[in-house]
Amino acid sequence: MTLPILAVLAGIAIGLLFPVSMPVEYGKFLAVALLASLDSVFGGLRSGLEEKFDNTIFISGFFVNSLLAVLLVFIGDRLGIDLYYVASLAFGLRIFQNLAIIRRYFLKK
Amino acid sequence: MGALKQGRAALAFVCVVLGIMLAVQFRTTQDIRSTIPFQRAEDLSQRLRQAEKERDTALRQMQEMQNSTLDETITKEAELFRMAAGYLQVQGPGVTVTIDDSKRAMKPGENPNLYLIHDDDMLKVINELWAAGAEAISINDQRLVIGSEIRCAGPTISVNNGRYSPPYEIRAIGDPKTLEASLKMRGGVIETLQFWGIQATIKTQPLIKISAYKGTHKYQFAKPVQEGAQK
Repeated sequence: MTLPILAVLAGIAIGLLFPVSMPVEYGKFLAVALLASLDSVFGGLRSGLEEKFDNTIFISGFFVNSLLAVLLVFIGDRLGIDLYYVASLAFGLRIFQNLAIIRRYFLKK
Repeated sequence: MGALKQGRAALAFVCVVLGIMLAVQFRTTQDIRSTIPFQRAEDLSQRLRQAEKERDTALRQMQEMQNSTLDETITKEAELFRMAAGYLQVQGPGVTVTIDDSKRAMKPGENPNLYLIHDDDMLKVINELWAAGAEAISINDQRLVIGSEIRCAGPTISVNNGRYSPPYEIRAIGDPKTLEASLKMRGGVIETLQFWGIQATIKTQPLIKISAYKGTHKYQFAKPVQEGAQK
């Protein structure tokens, strides 16, 4: 359980060390991608705890989900539909669901 | 837990990517806060608040006027005009500025006039105070009103036809901070005066009194123009 946390911290350190900054207009897209990847990570943790972890599904899910979310928001932007909120809501709900399942697993143990 | 073990590397990699994204997003959000549109919005909302406040006071004033009888309105107006004419002693927050001649030893061959206060120095100070929103000003207890002169009278200056010698004490009622800042401005009046060693001290005070104008306003030549009969 410590490895993912350490990895996240390392990632944050790398991100802060290298001053890459997104243009402000794309901040929204990155936010959605971030939410999607957060969802994937929690999903992966959950499936790992349920002994159903699949490496390929996890990795592909991570990237495809984030890209799809960004694409969706981008299209929504073009069409004048604020799909940004829809995506955040959906991913937020899923994150909470996954978290709840992970919590239950730890409580049962 | 066995399944998780084999995916450890993948999970760690994904988590690193996640961390990088977190950091970048954090920085982007901070950038947004300092961009011009964001600041503009804040600026505008502040202006809106101020405008609303002004509107509220104006509304209250209107209500007060509507509620009060004609007599009250006239008394109030008369009071306002008496204050504007300088016939009332007034008090409020403001600054006291004391200005004295230079005590610096003069170098031989130099013009001694440079080290003395002149009427135009005083005029500059007074002008600056009016510009900073002073509502009442007096020089050595002589209230400045419409038509008050400040002119050179030998070693003294003449204010309201009275002679005054240094040190001069100027009292001004208004926002103390604004008044003080207007005089202490870089390259402003006080800095120029201090260059010649002329001593000027500014004291902000929460309450100062400015006495009334003791003379009378005379209009010998000017007559009010009747409305509607302008031609």
